[in-house]
Amino acid sequence: MTVPAIRVAGLVRDFPKVRALDRLTFDVPPGIVFGFLGPNGAGKTTVIRVLLGILEPTEGGAEVFGLDPRRHGSTVRARAGALLEHNGVYERLSAVQNLEFYARAWHMNAGDRNARIRDLLSQFGLWERRDEPVGDWSRGMKQKLAIARAVLHRPPLVFLDEPTAGLDPVASASLRDDLMRLAQQEGVTIFLTTHNLAEAERLCALVGVIRRGKLLDFGAPTALRSARGAPVVHIAGHGLDDALLADLAGITPVASLERDNSGVVVRIAPDGDVPAIVAWLVARGVGIEEVRRDHLSFEDVFLELVSSDGTPPGVRAHTPPAREGR
Amino acid sequence: MIQDVLTVARKEWLEIIDQLLRFKRGGWSILLVVLFLGVISPLQMGTTWLSSPLMFFYWPLLTSSMTSTLIADSIAGERERHTLETLLASRLPDAAIISGKILAAVLYGFTFAALNLAIGWTVVNVRHYAGELLWIPLPRVASLFALIVAGSFFIAGLGVFVSLRAATVRQAQQTFGVIILVLMMTPVLFVQLTSTDFQVRVLARVGTMGLEALSFRIAAAIGGIAVLLNLFAIQRFRRGRLSLD
Repeated sequence: MTVPAIRVAGLVRDFPKVRALDRLTFDVPPGIVFGFLGPNGAGKTTVIRVLLGILEPTEGGAEVFGLDPRRHGSTVRARAGALLEHNGVYERLSAVQNLEFYARAWHMNAGDRNARIRDLLSQFGLWERRDEPVGDWSRGMKQKLAIARAVLHRPPLVFLDEPTAGLDPVASASLRDDLMRLAQQEGVTIFLTTHNLAEAERLCALVGVIRRGKLLDFGAPTALRSARGAPVVHIAGHGLDDALLADLAGITPVASLERDNSGVVVRIAPDGDVPAIVAWLVARGVGIEEVRRDHLSFEDVFLELVSSDGTPPGVRAHTPPAREGR
Repeated sequence: MIQDVLTVARKEWLEIIDQLLRFKRGGWSILLVVLFLGVISPLQMGTTWLSSPLMFFYWPLLTSSMTSTLIADSIAGERERHTLETLLASRLPDAAIISGKILAAVLYGFTFAALNLAIGWTVVNVRHYAGELLWIPLPRVASLFALIVAGSFFIAGLGVFVSLRAATVRQAQQTFGVIILVLMMTPVLFVQLTSTDFQVRVLARVGTMGLEALSFRIAAAIGGIAVLLNLFAIQRFRRGRLSLD
């Protein structure tokens, strides 16, 4: 049986006034990109800190490659690279000096160290400015340097906390390709947190959604979508007044609805069907101009999971569902 | 372990050098100190600069002050600049991180003192050269450096505790400044509380002992406390217990 890259079991972490992690339990198999998603303050960074052994859990435990970070923190950290909440680069030092410091910390020999630093800085387009103090660089460049630092010693596990924050779209796409390659070709396990849900859906084989320290859902993004992504219908036309929509909300095929710019977005109940809704509207004199059936986007699924008021997805005025096949 | 300590100390030194080389951002201030202590003071004092008992007071004080500025920044600075968490996420052992920082701070103070002494010695010899070089007696140099090293280690050990608890560098420097002031005032207050008879006996004892011997003994006492302080600091520095934010 394969040892999971990460195992979290009943993990609790209390701070003086708040429970940051509340009995979290999940496994991450090796060699995949795992997305850990949640709103700000959900507990994502706390989990990473516990896994790296820089924060002790209050209860429960965690294992990284079968090792408890509390007792084998040094071994765990030797096998992990990390880009954390802040990029952590030394602004008074140059790019080479930054990487050299960590390469020495990882006990890389001089030949390997120099070659690796050159490769990574060239790959990230930073080689030409390698001797400048990093403090003079843009945020995106510092972020690239921090990513280079995280993979410098070729670790089998990489923690990346918002890696594409501050990167331009081209650099972000390039990084996504690199991460996929690391996972698929080199078997590196990537623990990724991001607020970019499209990125998470594209990259991650598994995701965990966390809010207020509790794991709300866990699985493949497609599985999360299909489990929660009840279809929605956009209906555009004239005669869709408020009184009519109030009546529409009460009929059996409709789970919920909300107006959007061109008409109404209806979330279909599990046993509901669209023709019945259209027929109901036509019978009440509505001039239908367009009916478009969509599936919920991953973003909608995420918002449904983390919304505190229980508002169902697909019916928010500013989060129209994505088109099918996106 | 030693390799890790040197790795951390090397990084600290690279940061110091960068700061010193940034002339417009405060690097000039160090030149001002060098000018005063290494050039003006020896020129004013002449050959007495080589034998003045005052050197047992101001050199250790100066060195400790240089060490204190760096050590206050050690953990609080990493925390303030958001580099601490990444450092702790590396494989570097806790003891190596803190020992490397202590070593860098002590070496900084020591190097600064040695450099200024060398400049001062050169200035005195250039100004008062009369056919042969003038030297500071070896026992005096040895006892002075013993005091400097012990004092620097003591300040470094103490400073680590302050830096560990401070949220910002400014907070660490302010707290540390108050502690150093209290430490300096305590012997003065103690002397004032003793009887004149006691003071006369102590001075007589010091007189017979000689400044060098007294300096060695004080260095040994401070050094002993410094070793305990530093060991305690290394023991206290545990990543799992640190406040990262």
